[in-house]
Amino acid sequence: MSIGSTTNITQAALRDVPGPLLELTDVRTHFRTPRGLVRAVDGVSFTLERGRSLGIVGESGSGKTILSRSIMGLLPTKGTERSGSIRFAGTEVGNKSRKEMRHIWGKEMAMIFQDPMTSLNPLMRIGDQIAEPLRLHLGMSKADAAATARRLLQDVRIPEPDRRLAQYPHEMSGGMRQRVMIAIAMACGPTALFADEPTTALDVTVQAQILDLLGEQRRERNMSLVLVTHDLGVVAGHTDEIAVMYGGKLVEKAPTKRLFAAMKMPYTEGLLASIPKLEDRSHSRLNVIPGRPPDLVNPPKGCRFAPRCPYASARCNEEEPPLTATQDDPDHSYACWYPVGSPEYHEARARINASAGVN
Amino acid sequence: MRYFFQRFLQLLLVFVIVTFVVLVVMRVGSSNAQELAIKLAGRPLKPEESDALIQQYNLDANFISQYLTWLKNLVFHFDLGFSPQAGQSVADLLKPRVWTTVLLGLYANVFGLLIAIPLAVTQAYRRDRPFDKVGSMATFIAVGVPGIVLGVFLKLIFVVQLGWFPSIGDKIYPWDDLHEHFMNFFLPTLTLTIPVAAIYTRLLRADMVMTLQSDFITLASAKGVPPRRVVWKHGLRNSLFSLVTAVGTQLGALIGSAVLVESLFDLDGLGSQLVVSVLSADLFTVQSFVAIIVLIVVVVNLLVDLSYALIDPRIRQARALG
Repeated sequence: MSIGSTTNITQAALRDVPGPLLELTDVRTHFRTPRGLVRAVDGVSFTLERGRSLGIVGESGSGKTILSRSIMGLLPTKGTERSGSIRFAGTEVGNKSRKEMRHIWGKEMAMIFQDPMTSLNPLMRIGDQIAEPLRLHLGMSKADAAATARRLLQDVRIPEPDRRLAQYPHEMSGGMRQRVMIAIAMACGPTALFADEPTTALDVTVQAQILDLLGEQRRERNMSLVLVTHDLGVVAGHTDEIAVMYGGKLVEKAPTKRLFAAMKMPYTEGLLASIPKLEDRSHSRLNVIPGRPPDLVNPPKGCRFAPRCPYASARCNEEEPPLTATQDDPDHSYACWYPVGSPEYHEARARINASAGVN
Repeated sequence: MRYFFQRFLQLLLVFVIVTFVVLVVMRVGSSNAQELAIKLAGRPLKPEESDALIQQYNLDANFISQYLTWLKNLVFHFDLGFSPQAGQSVADLLKPRVWTTVLLGLYANVFGLLIAIPLAVTQAYRRDRPFDKVGSMATFIAVGVPGIVLGVFLKLIFVVQLGWFPSIGDKIYPWDDLHEHFMNFFLPTLTLTIPVAAIYTRLLRADMVMTLQSDFITLASAKGVPPRRVVWKHGLRNSLFSLVTAVGTQLGALIGSAVLVESLFDLDGLGSQLVVSVLSADLFTVQSFVAIIVLIVVVVNLLVDLSYALIDPRIRQARALG
């Protein structure tokens, strides 16, 4: 598709295009570094329907943040190699320059960052920061933008919006600032929202409020949400689907309920086991996945999780398992030779338990 | 406002301390009032002449009284004493010269900033690309070359070789004759501006590079704000602190360079006069110089301090709380 004809994507046109909102095919993002090529995202494919929410889960260094930024095209161009196809509302955006993406950013795709303390301009009034995209993309007058900003603050449940509009970020708490971030992201009514660890920097009591707010805004505005997090607990109640990333690849993807009920990937199992449970005895040792995420310059030859996988066998170290759908649910796919529940899995488990002296 | 007042008092104290120390240092060498009077007059005095001087400037009292007399004369009568070498009062001697130095300092700062800000912003935006590399190299050279070497170099090329800036007349101020002013001031201003612009550029570029890596800059891009606006509106204002501080601290160095530059380009400014006065031990004049220079530095630093609050609401509010 030629670039010239796709530069101006209008909002109306986007809303009308049939098919999934987001369609990724074999997306790769590699960084050239002095150490070599870092394969931060290495062949990711998935689709996301309009109005649906997807959680991308993984450890630090799994590539989840780079993936979300790759979709938005927000990465530095220097030293970055992109390939694969990213179709947004039927239009290829994977090869677009920052200049072309600018008309999509904030208007069609918006993003919420991890740390609300550093993500707002400290020298600009809250009201001006919310009004900025309104004036730029929608060409609103100053007064209209201010009125809309006020309404947005109400939408994100910030009390006394008039007073808050005139305040600077340092006059607000972390939770309030994250609400402002959401208001900014919502401002132009985007069709897709990327939230990168939106609650990690927040107080536990505030986390749930922010997640509920995101979910509510998504439903009201029929927006697609991509929620990036390292915490399976965060996505559990707030997404339709979950994609688990490891070493720059998708290793398992399933509807949320299904994933928790019938996970296939030992890595997913490990992630879930590492969440402390209420019924655990207090001061019991936290379950952790031993080892560290793979080196993305020289990733392991076979399954990237094999070196850390308790159930790995010779085949796992040699051959890379493809992402395949389960037989009973085409929406559930995983990349593992000996998934949770397979005979080999039970065999390996028995072996581990025996060596640990458990009967 | 309370903060401003406190700061004003602090800087006033700086002024008093510096001028007092200079007065003591210059007068402490004389063993009695008669000797001091002779020194101030710069020639042998008849007893009644010396008594009159002692009376007028309170020379037989302690240094604190002498200082208070000097300060009183300055504040209430604008009497800075007299210069025996020049044969006129210090006020008359310095008044026409103050503007030369003030204008040079002002031009160097204004043009320095006008060059530094766009250059640094563009460099930071195009970090590590050819424009930035060439810019960094150029500013590095400009910072490294001493101002006086640059001045001599410019004079050799433009005055001696090309003959572009002949000394034309002594109407050196813009309100006298704009063309003459330009001819007289261009090279001295250039000599002072180049190093200042280079320092400002390097400072601002470094801060800008840091700022452009902030999350809020990425957010501004993610909102769809055009790069130009991201850099100028969100980036620059958050990067001004070192630069503003430097404007205050560079001022002392700038006056130091002005001394050399005025002598080199035959401009009658404070700088060129200071050299003459110090060498001939012209006590009243030197004392007045120090007072004027300290006053300028103090006022500029007060402005620098105010501009922090203008830039950053956090500082504004912290100050308002006292």
